[in-house]
Amino acid sequence: MTTEAVTSAEAEFRETTSDADAAASAVAARPIAADREIVLAVDSVSLSFGGVKAIRNVSFDIRKGEVRAIIGPNGAGKTSMLNVINGFYHPQIGTITYHGKTRKQMRPYLAASQGIARTFQNVALFKGMSALDNIMSGRALKMKRGLLWQMLRFGPALREEIRHREVVEQIIGFLEIEHIRKTPVGRLPYGLQKRVELGRALAMEPELLLLDEPMAGMNLEEKEDMSRFVIDVNDHFGTTIALIEHDMGVVMDLSDRVVVLDHGELIADGTPSEVQANQSVIDAYLGVAH
Amino acid sequence: MEILFNIFVQPFIEMFTAPDLLIQVLWEGFVSGTLYALIALGFVLIFKASGVFNFAQGIMVVFGALSLVGLYSLGVPAYVALALCILIMFLLAATVERFVMRPLVNQEPIILFMATIGLTFFLIGFGEFVFGGEPKLMITEELGLPTGSYDIEAFGGLIILQQIDISAALIAGAMVAALAVFFNKTRIGRALRAVADDHQAAMSVGITLQQIWVIVWFAAGIVALATGIMWGARSDVSFALQIIALKALPVLILGGLTSIPGAIVGGLIIGLSEKMLEFYWGPMLGGSIESWVPYFVALIFLWFMPQGLFGERIIERV
Amino acid sequence: MFYRENGQFKTSYAADQAVFPILQDRIALAALLFVLFVVVPFTFSDFWLNSVLTPTLIFALAAIGLNLLTGYAGQLSLGTGGFMGCGAYACYKLTTIFPDVNIIILIFLSGIFAAAIGFIFGLPSLRIKGFYLAIATLASQFFLEWAFGRIAWLYNYNASGAIEVPTRTLFELPITGPTATSATRYLVVLAIVLVLTFVASNLVHGRIGRAWMAVRDMDIAAELIGIRLLRTKLLAFTISSYFCGVAGAMMVFLWLGAAEVESFDINHSFLILFMVIIGGLGSIIGCFMGAIFIWNLPILLRSTFGGLIDAATVEHISFMIVGALIIFFLIVEPHGLARLWQIAKEKLRLWPFPY
Repeated sequence: MTTEAVTSAEAEFRETTSDADAAASAVAARPIAADREIVLAVDSVSLSFGGVKAIRNVSFDIRKGEVRAIIGPNGAGKTSMLNVINGFYHPQIGTITYHGKTRKQMRPYLAASQGIARTFQNVALFKGMSALDNIMSGRALKMKRGLLWQMLRFGPALREEIRHREVVEQIIGFLEIEHIRKTPVGRLPYGLQKRVELGRALAMEPELLLLDEPMAGMNLEEKEDMSRFVIDVNDHFGTTIALIEHDMGVVMDLSDRVVVLDHGELIADGTPSEVQANQSVIDAYLGVAH
Repeated sequence: MEILFNIFVQPFIEMFTAPDLLIQVLWEGFVSGTLYALIALGFVLIFKASGVFNFAQGIMVVFGALSLVGLYSLGVPAYVALALCILIMFLLAATVERFVMRPLVNQEPIILFMATIGLTFFLIGFGEFVFGGEPKLMITEELGLPTGSYDIEAFGGLIILQQIDISAALIAGAMVAALAVFFNKTRIGRALRAVADDHQAAMSVGITLQQIWVIVWFAAGIVALATGIMWGARSDVSFALQIIALKALPVLILGGLTSIPGAIVGGLIIGLSEKMLEFYWGPMLGGSIESWVPYFVALIFLWFMPQGLFGERIIERV
Repeated sequence: MFYRENGQFKTSYAADQAVFPILQDRIALAALLFVLFVVVPFTFSDFWLNSVLTPTLIFALAAIGLNLLTGYAGQLSLGTGGFMGCGAYACYKLTTIFPDVNIIILIFLSGIFAAAIGFIFGLPSLRIKGFYLAIATLASQFFLEWAFGRIAWLYNYNASGAIEVPTRTLFELPITGPTATSATRYLVVLAIVLVLTFVASNLVHGRIGRAWMAVRDMDIAAELIGIRLLRTKLLAFTISSYFCGVAGAMMVFLWLGAAEVESFDINHSFLILFMVIIGGLGSIIGCFMGAIFIWNLPILLRSTFGGLIDAATVEHISFMIVGALIIFFLIVEPHGLARLWQIAKEKLRLWPFPY
């Protein structure tokens, strides 16, 4: 690449904006994230599959109530990082500290029961069920009525079902998906599927919400809607959010702090503007050999 | 105390005080093992190339054997009948591809599996309709296969090796070797492996799915025919033979569904352990534990290696 | 025109969650139940009761059991016959040891023994999935078949290895054994099947059913929303085996009157599996449709062509037809008769308009 091309690409990179200006100012008005208490911290985590090192010695933390973006070129290890936090992958080295407890690895049930919820890059909905049932399944941890009541249904089990249905309906209203609640999710367009998946994660009433490319494959309007949902969740419920995203505009406007991964390593950690100006980040994205 | 002695000591004493019996049992186990391996191979072939667990493999064994015997009884000379049977297996492969595989091409494996169960029942009905249900004799001599036995005196006793068993082991070994070479060294073999990984990707590089499937079902049919001849020569030819195919299933668990060496090793392990356990430990439990012991052996292996000894480790990606 | 939801607005979530939300469905169900309970026992012949209705109901219940495990929870099982046998032999031993306890109670209790065995054989599902698990269920089938023949205590040391059902009564009326009438036995079967169908329906419409379907559709995601995989799978195996056990006990005590080792062999496992596939995986009503279809097809063939072709050929032909139909259904409508029924109802909603 010629010097002019690199400079203009850099300039373009700095200038990316999104249309969600209201969102930008809302984020800008919040108190500084780095001063709040730590919700989750990963320390010196390394993960490899066979010979492939997916994550090398990565440490960062996520603070209460913030929106933390995890960015980086493809193959940087971002999804693997979320999988480690969820307990789906177990790192060979390093620890995960959540709620003050430090562990060598998380377990999926533990993560879920302690308030970590998640969406996936390739939508991981239950294709055989309707949108409503998918979101209701997110209430699984909260539904307690035992086997015998379930067999009878009428009585306590049905009342519990209705109670949770009411909560789920609020989520459905919030995400504006009332019209498709009974549709089997396999038939829904991609954008709506992602919304249902977000609904399912929200149904868990999580403390920490992990979103893996929630806006992938969406058009501008859908992205605006999704950004609005993410901000609302963060604002109204105070949910801490960790977000993998490729759209720079979204990242810059939505997040309090950003972690940048490249080839499994952490190359930057700071506020959006700090990261945007970081040379190694720019190099990573432009593919400069290093 | 006595029970412990019976389980852990007595059988071994029996083994070593009558080594001729031991060798006999080991030989029986070895022969069964090679034949199980051969049946398992039929499963592996189809699974490797199409991701389908072909439940009908067992009935294909019976069908092949019945066709051979049936043609011969109509007066067709033995080798001509054999050639015709090969043709019949080809026609079967083509029919299955056209009417079962092609319409179901993108469905989930479990749907295809259930379709092969349906195919099994269809072939059972069809076979009984055409050939009748009584047991028949395999035309062993007419095919040129030896029927005598070698009686070896050793260890103070007699070890009887049926010549047909030796032929069976040799033929099985030869087929396995040929198939291994086919899969790994030839162009079509590579194409088959590509197809097994991803139908649509294979199609997009220009491999015709239909041709591949016909080839692989035909190969499985040949294996089935050979198995039918061998098994039929050792017992007789009836629909009970398809139960033998169910014996191949523990082999598949052990060896993994996608591995040819796995089918061989698995077959030998199951064959040997089955005969040894039945002969030396079986009497304690009242006998005929053969029907389920192989499954338990395989299950124990599977517990520690969920993809089988040689199967591909599936790394789940989310 | 008459099958519309016009004017039937749901004003509460309770109404919306109902299993039969449409009024016409509820009326139809009530009418059907009336016919089954009141009209049939007095008007249908012994042949119909003994050879058609009673076995269809019993196999439908077994199909529900298998469907819960395979259709809802996604765990393919080929061991249904074995679990039915567990229930049957358990019932036989229970009534031998406690001859004065009401047989209906014992039938319900015998399911528990089958459930326990199902629990044990479900343990491998922790580590094993898919086809490998199916093969593992074959282990249970073959082991149980062997046990039914070998463990003489099970059949009271009877020389032939078969069991014969003693006479048991309910309120002085014989319901099992040679003196019980077909109508009585039919009614008992109908009642038991209805109760258990109600239970199954409740389970699948609630959180347990959702957990099963989540495990079936994507167990990784299910784990990550907090569903405990082993517990959910084991529950499926246990409950499924309970249903199969009760069905097996009814098969021996309320239908055949006797049993031998072959009564619960692998062919029965396949029979029930076919009912589930053709009826529709993941559908309770499909189980009934599948049972009606699979059980009665050979009977239909025999009575239509009975004079023209001999019995053996009829059996061969029914095998061929069943096999071909399985393939046909899997190609055309993998969700079975239940889906076809649903589509028919959709069309009925619009009738007389085409779309």
